[in-house]
Amino acid sequence: MRSHKVIEIRNLTPSTYVIKMEKKDFTFKTGQYITLGFSGSIDRREYSIYSSEQDNFLEVLIKEVEGGLVSKKLKRCKPGDYLDIDGPFGHFSLKEDEISKKKFLFIATGTGISPIHSFIATHPNMDYQLLHGVRMKEEAYERESYQNNNYILCTSREKSGDFHGRVTEYLKENPVPSDTVCYLCGNCHMIYEAYDILEKQGINLGPIHTEVYF
Amino acid sequence: MKKVAFKTLGCRLNQYETDAIASQFQNNGFKLVPFDKEADVYVINSCTVTHQSDHKSRNFINQANRKNPDSVLVVTGCMANNAKDELEGRDEINYVVENDQKSSVYSLVEAHYNGEIFHPSKVNSDLFSYGSTDKGFHTRSMIKIQDGCDNFCTFCIIPSVRGRAVSRSIQDVLDNVKSVVANGAKEVVLTGVNIGRYEYKKYKFDDIVEQILDLDGDFRLRISSIEPDGFGDKFLSLLNHPKMTPHLHLCLQSGSEPILLQMRRMYNIKRFKEIVNKVRSVRPDFNITTDIIIGFPNESDQDFESTCNIIKELKFGHVHAFKYSIRKGTRAERMTEQVDEKIKTLRSETLREIADDVKLQYRNQFIGKEQIVLVEKTDGENAKGYGEHYVPVEFKGYELKKNHFYKVKITDINKDIDPVLIGEQVK
Ligand SMILES: Cc1cc2nc3c(=O)[nH]c(=O)nc-3n(C[C@H](O)[C@H](O)[C@H](O)COP(=O)(O)OP(=O)(O)OC[C@H]3O[C@@H](n4cnc5c(N)ncnc54)[C@H](O)[C@@H]3O)c2cc1C
Ligand code: SF4
Repeated sequence: MRSHKVIEIRNLTPSTYVIKMEKKDFTFKTGQYITLGFSGSIDRREYSIYSSEQDNFLEVLIKEVEGGLVSKKLKRCKPGDYLDIDGPFGHFSLKEDEISKKKFLFIATGTGISPIHSFIATHPNMDYQLLHGVRMKEEAYERESYQNNNYILCTSREKSGDFHGRVTEYLKENPVPSDTVCYLCGNCHMIYEAYDILEKQGINLGPIHTEVYF
Repeated sequence: MKKVAFKTLGCRLNQYETDAIASQFQNNGFKLVPFDKEADVYVINSCTVTHQSDHKSRNFINQANRKNPDSVLVVTGCMANNAKDELEGRDEINYVVENDQKSSVYSLVEAHYNGEIFHPSKVNSDLFSYGSTDKGFHTRSMIKIQDGCDNFCTFCIIPSVRGRAVSRSIQDVLDNVKSVVANGAKEVVLTGVNIGRYEYKKYKFDDIVEQILDLDGDFRLRISSIEPDGFGDKFLSLLNHPKMTPHLHLCLQSGSEPILLQMRRMYNIKRFKEIVNKVRSVRPDFNITTDIIIGFPNESDQDFESTCNIIKELKFGHVHAFKYSIRKGTRAERMTEQVDEKIKTLRSETLREIADDVKLQYRNQFIGKEQIVLVEKTDGENAKGYGEHYVPVEFKGYELKKNHFYKVKITDINKDIDPVLIGEQVK
């Protein structure tokens, strides 16, 4: 476990924020997560790394969960505070030999977009499409990071996105070519349903292609 | 002569570590006595995987203290990591030794008798410096190849108490295997917390298994408990090697896809079935045993039914089922839809019946066939041991010896809860 100093907090919506920390000699593989908590605190949670492998800082994207303990506490952290980081952990990662050769489909709900952001920031020339499932348009976190034609915002509560409905509905209406490499991250129900739809469309998914948050 | 008694709870890795510590005590003149007898030193190698294991560990601490209040009482294992403060606060316990210092239990006790008292955190923390287990309790020689786990399944406390995954050097492992085989070990069992994730320099799990199989000597290799992730198809092809025993304990945990996702397991049902089918396509009688958790948060009747169905479909040779219990600090602790205890109990009963039925069917197929049995207990004419499939066998023969292989013709089965194959030595 190591202590990292907070550099900046970026509030993206009233409940979602990015914590930027010093990186020191920390290394990771894009898609991996860390566990994070205030220095010395026993309350720690897993967070995917939002920044790229080559950035000289570390970032995480966090949504304050209603009734949640750590996501609420971390929202109050300030530049200069110290956070304890453990990791990196996880096997949600790209295969080296596929990155420049394959077409990718990334499917994320809410802050599940975090490791996808890291994938794309680490490999900006990837051929990808990104389906982001949220409730409202304001949750299109830092949309400008993605090439416009590649980012499809699916809003379930209002019609303000590129598609009105859930990502799973989008997938049913827009079948995916079977040679696409798919990665899914976020809510367990979405992953379960999307998995089923994609398998029926002929996509082969392995365990490294899913990351369940809750 | 000083006497030492051990109690081991939990996994095979704990069993291996107890064996190795026991050997150290015996090599230094201690006599090994049963745990319910009076001893000078009691070592409890605890487990904390479920509430029940915590409870049992506490009972054994009390039992040891009652037998000899003046004994040196050492508590090690996962509970020592998980409830360190509580245990260190108990006067009757002399040493609380965390997992990474476990190999130093003997040195601590020796120092104690020499009048030096030092804190366990000051001793050697090499995870693999156990030496060999030649004087342990078993005919099988366990070889620890790995410790710790980084998978963080949402129900599991092990990554917090055993720490990050670390692998032992391949040369060390090979030397260890050679030495136990040279000392007469007939069966080598690979052990660790998550052995499929073995990785040392460029060597993965497949590589270490291949190199062990290529060693000379009259021994057979058993893979203990393994997670269905981490290893590749090369490992599956090694399962046909003549030295490899046709048995895998492949942890499934649930037959429901949504529950596996919530457990954050690293495989899905399709992959699990693929592994089993691949293995059985070469050896249809391959013994696959498994672990199942009953009543994980959110487990619906339908999820449970999926688990029952897969047990019937895959015909597990044995199912080690346990009721889910909350472990502090895990993600599943914070899941809101915990399953009622009564429902868990009912589901356990249903599952046990199915598992017993399937086990009997599995074992029945051996009647009329032959097994190579490694004898663990014998009076010369009657012997008990395990066949290569890890099914218990009792047989009659002539001048039978412990720790020898015998070819046995299976003639019958006794239909107890754990059905034992009955047979006769083939001369
Ligand atoms: C591998 C991994 C990576 C993760 N990466 C991220 C990330 O990049 N960004 C991020 O914001 N979160 C991420 N999470 C979720 C994160 O770890 C915490 O669960 C989340 O921040 C809530 O923690 P808490 O202490 O505030 O709530 P807790 O006190 O733990 O939980 C309060 C209640 O909220 C529920 N709950 C937990 N998580 C969520 C959620 N995400 N949405 C709605 N309800 C929830 C719980 O079941 C519980 O009932 C990740 C989880 C995992 C397993
Ligand atoms: S793989 Fe999962 S269940 Fe097995 S030790 Fe690691 S965290 Fe625990």
